[in-house]
Amino acid sequence: MRLAIRLYSALARAFPYEFKVVYGPDMIQLGEDIVQEIAKKNGFLGLFRLVLDIAIRLPIEYLSEMRRDLSYAFRTLAKSPGFATVGIVSLGIGIGVAAVSVSEVMNLILRDAPGVRDPEKLVLVTGVSYPYTEHYRDQRDLFTGVAAFQQAVPFNISLGDSAGSKAERVFGQLVSPEYFSVVGLTAARGRVFHPDMDKPGSAPIVFISDRFWRERLNSDPSVVGRTVRVNGTTATVIGVGPKDFQGVLPFIPADVFVPTTASASMAPELSADVIHQREAKSFSALLRLAPAVTQQAAEAGLDAITRNLDQETFDPARNAKGRRVILLPGGKMFPIPKAVLPLMLGFMVVLNGLIIAIACMNLANMQLARATARRKEVSIRLSVGASRFRLIRQLLTESILLAIGGGAGGILIAFWAAAAFQKAKLPFAYPVKFDITPDWRVTAIVFSIALAAGIAFGLAPAMAATRGDLASAMKQAIVGQTRAHRRFSLRNFLMVGQVAGSLALLLITGFMIIGFHKTNTIDIAFDSSTMYLLSLDPVRDGYSPERAINFFDNLAERLKRAPGVREVVLAHSAPFSPQLATFTLSAPASGGASDQIVSGVAKNTIGPNYFAALSATILEGREFELRDQRADPAKNLAAPVIINQTAAHAFFGAIDPLGRRISDAAKSYEVIGVVKDLSAPLTQTAQGGTASVVPVVYLPLTRAEFDHPPNSGMIVMIRADHQMDVLEGVRAQLAAIDPNVVVFNIHSLAGQVGDTLAYLRVSEYVYGGIGVFGLILAAIGLAGVTAYSVARRRKEIGIRVALGASKAQVLRLVMREGGSVVIVGSVLGLLGALALSRALTAFSSLFGPSFAAGAHDPRLIVGAPILLASLAMLACYVPARKSARIDPLVALREE
Amino acid sequence: MPKVESFLPLKTNWFHILLSLAAGEQHGYWIMQDVAERTGGKVRLWPATLYGSLKRLIEDGLIEESEVRPAPEVDDARRRYYKLTRFGQRVLDAETERLEELVRMVHLKRGFEAAR
Repeated sequence: MRLAIRLYSALARAFPYEFKVVYGPDMIQLGEDIVQEIAKKNGFLGLFRLVLDIAIRLPIEYLSEMRRDLSYAFRTLAKSPGFATVGIVSLGIGIGVAAVSVSEVMNLILRDAPGVRDPEKLVLVTGVSYPYTEHYRDQRDLFTGVAAFQQAVPFNISLGDSAGSKAERVFGQLVSPEYFSVVGLTAARGRVFHPDMDKPGSAPIVFISDRFWRERLNSDPSVVGRTVRVNGTTATVIGVGPKDFQGVLPFIPADVFVPTTASASMAPELSADVIHQREAKSFSALLRLAPAVTQQAAEAGLDAITRNLDQETFDPARNAKGRRVILLPGGKMFPIPKAVLPLMLGFMVVLNGLIIAIACMNLANMQLARATARRKEVSIRLSVGASRFRLIRQLLTESILLAIGGGAGGILIAFWAAAAFQKAKLPFAYPVKFDITPDWRVTAIVFSIALAAGIAFGLAPAMAATRGDLASAMKQAIVGQTRAHRRFSLRNFLMVGQVAGSLALLLITGFMIIGFHKTNTIDIAFDSSTMYLLSLDPVRDGYSPERAINFFDNLAERLKRAPGVREVVLAHSAPFSPQLATFTLSAPASGGASDQIVSGVAKNTIGPNYFAALSATILEGREFELRDQRADPAKNLAAPVIINQTAAHAFFGAIDPLGRRISDAAKSYEVIGVVKDLSAPLTQTAQGGTASVVPVVYLPLTRAEFDHPPNSGMIVMIRADHQMDVLEGVRAQLAAIDPNVVVFNIHSLAGQVGDTLAYLRVSEYVYGGIGVFGLILAAIGLAGVTAYSVARRRKEIGIRVALGASKAQVLRLVMREGGSVVIVGSVLGLLGALALSRALTAFSSLFGPSFAAGAHDPRLIVGAPILLASLAMLACYVPARKSARIDPLVALREE
Repeated sequence: MPKVESFLPLKTNWFHILLSLAAGEQHGYWIMQDVAERTGGKVRLWPATLYGSLKRLIEDGLIEESEVRPAPEVDDARRRYYKLTRFGQRVLDAETERLEELVRMVHLKRGFEAAR
C-alpha cells in the first residue's frame, strides 16, 4: 500500500507544470485519502487500478499540452505569414542542400552494391595487369579469392544468330572466371563462370544481368543455352544474374559479363595478349579479404608484392616512393578510398553545416527580434503563473514547427535535384547510374537535422525572451528603452556569426565558380558547330582487326565525297573531353643528369591531320601522317610523339624538344612536334599542379588501337564547311561502305563541349545560388536586427530629436551599431574563408586547382566583402532612415 | 463559445460530474464518492481521470472553480471547489433531454409491440 501511494505521488508530481499547479495538491490529497479504503475494499487490484489510472493520464495530459502548444504555434505563425515564409524557405533551402549531399553520400558512397555477399569484405585495386592479379591470388593468408575485371566495357550485342542482324551497344564487364565466386553470387538461372569449367579455348559464353534478360530478352524462360552475337562472335548464354545485380561498382551498370578466357575477336580488350602482359595495367583486381584480415594488413601486404612486381617492369614510376596500392571498397556503389572518406565527409559537413547554420542563425535572429516584440505577452503569461519552462516550450514549438516545414521543403528540393541529376547528360562514353533519390534513411536524417537545428537555434532566443524582470517588461518603462545596449549580446553575436558565415559561404562558392571558369573554359579556334563527331566500332561489329584497319584507311577518302565535308580525322577520344586518367613519363637526360620524370601527363591518341582539323597551331615540327599510323611498332624502336607546350617545358625546359626521347612503362617515343596548349577541361592533374597547364602527349593511332578500340568506339571527327548539314551525306557514305557497321554517339563538337561543361555549369549555378542565398539571408537578418534596435530606441531617438538632434546625427547613431557588426563579421568571414579554401585546395586534386585559381582572384577577395557590406549597410539604412523620421511627440507620448 | 450540441452525447464521466455538481459547488473527493454511491460502484472516477476531466470541463467552460465556499465548519480549506456554469447547466439539461427522448422512444416502441 505504501508503495502504491509513493508511486502515485511520484507520478502525480510528474504531471505538466500547469496541471500540477492547479490540480496537483488536490490529486495527491485525494489519493492519500482513498488509498486505505481502496486497499480494504478492492485489495491489490484496486491499488493497481489507482496507479494504472494515473500512469495512463500522465501521457494524455502531456499530449494535450503539446497539441495546444502546436495549435497556438500554428496560430501565431499564421498571424505573421511573412516571418513564417522567410523562415521556412530559408531553412528549406539550407536543409535541401544538405539533403542532396546526404542522399548522395548514402546512395553512392555508403550503399552496398546489390547482390554482393559480405560487401564489407570485398576490396579492389585499380590499374593492375592480369598477371599481377594472379600473384595476388597466391596470397592465400590474405585473401580467400581474387578476380580480375574490367569495367565499362562495351559489347555490340545482336540477338539474332545471323550476321546481318542489327547490333546494340551494351555495357558490361570483362571478368576472370573467379569473379562470381569472389563476389559471392549464385545465378538466378543457369550457372556462373567457374575457373574449373571455363578455360581459354572453350566455347564462347556470356552471362547476362536480370535487367538485360527482362528488357532485351523479354524474360525468355528458356534463355539459358540460347545464343547471341557478342561483338560478332556467337556465344551461349550460360546464366542470368539475380534481380538488381549489375556487377561490382554498379555506378556504371553492367548488363553483360564476358569471361577473360574469351578470344580477342569476341573481346577486343583482350587483344595484344594482355592476359600475359605485366605492363598492361588495364584491369582491376577484386579481392575478398580472408577472415580476420584487416584492410590495413591487406593493403600493406599487397603494397610489398606490387613493389616487387613493379621492379620487373619498365615503368618510369617503378622507383617512386610512397604507397603503390590503395585499397578501395569493392562492395559499394562507388569506390571512395577509406582514407579519403573522413575528409570528404568532413568537407560536406563543413559546407552544409555552414549553410544550415546561416539559415538557422537568421531564423534565431528573427525569432529573437520577434520574441522581443512579444515581451509583453510573455511577461503577462509569466506573471499569471505560467512556468518559464512552459513558455520556452511554447516558443520552441514554433521553432520546431518552422524546422519541420523547412525539412519538408528540403526533402522536396532533394527529390527535385535527384530528378534533375537523372536527366543530366554526363560527359562520359558509358552510361552512369547517378541515382540520388532520397530514401527513408535520408528523410530520417534530414528531419533529425532539421529538428536539431530547430531546437538548437530556437532555444537561445526562447531563453532570452523569457528572461528578465516582469515589472519593467510589462510597463515597458523608460528603463527598458534607454538602457545602454550591451555590446556583445546574444543578438550581436548571432549577427556577427551570420555576416561571417555568409561572407565565408559567398567567398568559397565564389572561389569555386571563378576557379571552374578559369580552369575549365574550352577555347576552340573555330566555330565548334561546324565539326561533327560520330563513333564507329567495326571490331565489335565482327570485323577482324585487319579488315577494320582497311576500313578506317579508306574512311576519310570515302566520307570526303559527301558534300560539304572538308576534313575527316580519327581519334581515340573526343577532343576537349575530360581526361580522368593521367600518367607518369620520363625524359632520359643526357650527360649523366638524372631523368626528368613528369607525372600527371594526359595521353591522347590521334590520327593524321588532327591538329589541322582543329585549327590548332603546330609550333615546331610536324603532325602525324598516315605513315606514322601504319608504322609497325615492333620494328620501330621509337614511336613518334607530339607534345604540347606545357609538356615540352616540363620535360625539356628550354632545350629544343624535337628529336628527343620520352618513355613510359612500355616504350620509348621520339618527339616529332610541339603543339600549342589546347583546353583540357576536368582533367585530373598531379597533386599540386594547376589545371590550366596540363602536360599532354599525343600518340599516333596504331594497330593496337584498331585491335582494341576504346569503350567510346573510334571517334570520327568531321569538319564541315560553314553552315552545311553534312550528316545526311556522311550517313549515306557509311551505309554504302557497310550497312552493318553501327554508327553511334552522333553529335556536334558544340554539343560535346556543352555536355562536358553542362556538368560544371550546373555546379556553378548551384554554388552561385548558395552564395546568393547566404547574401540575401544576411541582409534579411541585418535589416531585422536594425529595425528591432530602432524600435527599441524609439523613445531615446524621440528625445534626441526633441532636443535638436539632426536627421543625419540620428542616422549615424543607428547605423553605427549595424556597421560595427558588419565589420567584425566581415573580418571573421574573410579569415574563415581563406582558411577553409586552403584546406580544400589541399584536399581535392580535381577541385584543388580550380580552387587555387579562384582563391587568388582579387575581384572576389575585395569584391565579395564590399558587396556584402554594402548590402548589409543598405539593410541597416532603410530602417535607420525610418527612425530619423520619428516624430518626437508621437514617440514620447507612447504609453 | 461552442454550441451546446457539440458536447452531445456527453461522455459518461462528464455527465456524472455535471450531475454531481448540479446540486451546488463541491470538491473532487465528494464528486468521486457521490458518483460511486449514485451508480452503486458501477462508475468509478479514479483520481487522475477525475482531475483530467475537471480540467477539460473548465477549459470548455462547462464548470468553473467556485469562489463561494461552504460554511467554515464544513469547508475543507485544502480543496478546490467547482460549480456548474450556466453553459454547463444547459449542456446537462440538453443531455438529460436527449436521454429522456431516447427512453421515451424505447417505451413507445415497446408499447407498439405489446399492442400487436
